[in-house]
Amino acid sequence: MWPRLVQNAQDWNRECSSRETFESNCFPGRTFRIQNFHMRFPCPARGEGTDRSEWHCCASIDLGPRRMSKPHRGWRLEAALVALIAALALLSLMIGSAGLSPATAIKGLIDGTGPAGIIVRDIRLPRTLLALLIGATLGLSGAALQGLLRNPLAEPALFGAPQAASAGASFMIAYGLAGATSFAVPLAGIAGALISIGGLVAIAGRRASLTVTLLAGLALASFAGALTALILNFAPNPYAALEITFWLLGSLEDRSSAHVLMALPFFVASWIVLALNLRAYRALALGEDAAASLGVDIDRTRTMVVIGTALGVGAAVAVAGSIGFIGLVAPHLVRRAVGSDPARVCLPAALMGAVLLMAADIAVRIVPTPPSAIAIELKVGVVTALIGVPFFLAMIFSERRLLEGSPS
Amino acid sequence: MSEAPVLQVAGLSVWLGTRTIVDGITLDLLPGQLTVMVGPNGAGKTTLMRALAALLPSTGRITLAGRPLQAFSPRERARRIAYLPQGHVFHWPMSVAAVVALGRQPHIDVFAPLADDDRAAVSRALTATGVAPWADRAVTTLSGGERARVALARALATQAPILLADEPTMSLDPRHQLVVMELLAQAAHEGGAVLAVIHDLALAARYADRVVMMEQGRLVADGRPRDVLTPERIAAVFAVEATITDSAIGPIPILQRPL
Repeated sequence: MWPRLVQNAQDWNRECSSRETFESNCFPGRTFRIQNFHMRFPCPARGEGTDRSEWHCCASIDLGPRRMSKPHRGWRLEAALVALIAALALLSLMIGSAGLSPATAIKGLIDGTGPAGIIVRDIRLPRTLLALLIGATLGLSGAALQGLLRNPLAEPALFGAPQAASAGASFMIAYGLAGATSFAVPLAGIAGALISIGGLVAIAGRRASLTVTLLAGLALASFAGALTALILNFAPNPYAALEITFWLLGSLEDRSSAHVLMALPFFVASWIVLALNLRAYRALALGEDAAASLGVDIDRTRTMVVIGTALGVGAAVAVAGSIGFIGLVAPHLVRRAVGSDPARVCLPAALMGAVLLMAADIAVRIVPTPPSAIAIELKVGVVTALIGVPFFLAMIFSERRLLEGSPS
Repeated sequence: MSEAPVLQVAGLSVWLGTRTIVDGITLDLLPGQLTVMVGPNGAGKTTLMRALAALLPSTGRITLAGRPLQAFSPRERARRIAYLPQGHVFHWPMSVAAVVALGRQPHIDVFAPLADDDRAAVSRALTATGVAPWADRAVTTLSGGERARVALARALATQAPILLADEPTMSLDPRHQLVVMELLAQAAHEGGAVLAVIHDLALAARYADRVVMMEQGRLVADGRPRDVLTPERIAAVFAVEATITDSAIGPIPILQRPL
């Protein structure tokens, strides 16, 4: 059933007198199996006769099931990331102003009684869950946007999504239109993110050139920043302004299970919407026309990715403020292990996003804060930006050739 | 040429704003035939190809296997029409095997792995185009000619009865131009209906079973290469003085100078 591989010995100008020389000369570095080898025989259908130079070497090759979506390498990366998430979750339950031993933390989590139970269940568990959910959502959003725009530099924060979501949510908070745990805040955040990502994808258009995309993202992020500044400027009272300012820095401190329950439906919806387009991300690697000719509905994909990203980023911003660059860093890190297939990257990118944000949220609890600081804790959004921006610069540096060559 | 046409186009027009890019084209594609489309830049060749692949809204009638093209779902259509766009774009350093496997996407369900016949089709396309030795390499590390063959392998892997190739020989060296033309001819002679836009009139004359010539959105000629590629028509459409030379491989137009 395997197709026959016909190779003209003379055309290749190589010695194919035996199976060994055929394999080593015609396919150096071969990794597929050569199943049947027939040596130098005339092919009457091609009008070949006794002239040996016209004869063909013939073989069947078996590329094997795993080679079509190479490099696959099983699910080892995912397994390792899940184990890492479990370890970080335990660590996250243990670490804080009152340190707990692993045994105490697990016991507190299970029975929920005593001081340890209250600390673990009411304070640290929501925080840990939010770090996991938000990290995964941001990692997946980054991978999906990169797939849609065929561009490893795509990231919600560079498109002004968290900034616009912040503007929407701060408006709600500043004017006391809604309590901090009401659904109105994530809805305002989602609306902001929807406008910014939708606007960006519309401006970037069919060709999605790197330059246009990044410039439009810069403009949208600046505009959203200006709107937030305007809201702060006219905040009804200084406490509201201070509250918004700290909230904008991005933090998972003092979040309750109400926050988790409020954001969870939006996160799950975002994952489903983004995952439904996995095939489209892969086909888009060939450009929009080729993807469309493969049966991908480009407009629908674009709309779904915009909605999915806005749902996730808007809800994340509403509960945790602005946390950037997870969506840029996570897909990049896993690409080294699973290859560049934009569909294959999505799941490990989500897991890696969870790992990154959980690790960052543990780090902010360990780093000592100066006694004069107003904020009690270093904000996790500050940490992700401090690490993410140099990372982004390094990526720009390594992609310079691509950026310089990109049509505007 | 007794076989029924697989793709029938009647009165097809495409407007861009108020401008008519494709103006009332009527064309039938027959199985087993390599049809080459020639025409000067801006004649509407790419627009016509994209309209045939249903990538552009158009007026007029396109009938695929007896049914109107609009009646097909995107995936059904993709199984029947393989389209190779200009330029051989690869945005990610995916492996050659993974790129060619994309050609099977219209045949498989969302999360389903490739079935045996999908794998066989991919292997066949890889070996037919001679790109099998690089199956594991990242497609972005290949040369232009090699990429063109990978792109063609991707289109062939679909095993669609219709193949539309827009300038598949663009920016290729002479050898790769011949390789690609032979692959297109082979695809046609295995029963496919192949329509390719080619700028090189000598290549068109040599490989085409049939040549259609486009000018300003209209078809101005349709027939055997020797009947279409005449010095008079080349002068009228391309503004180039040409002579026809009889060679061992048939009459070949030789371009002399611009008029």
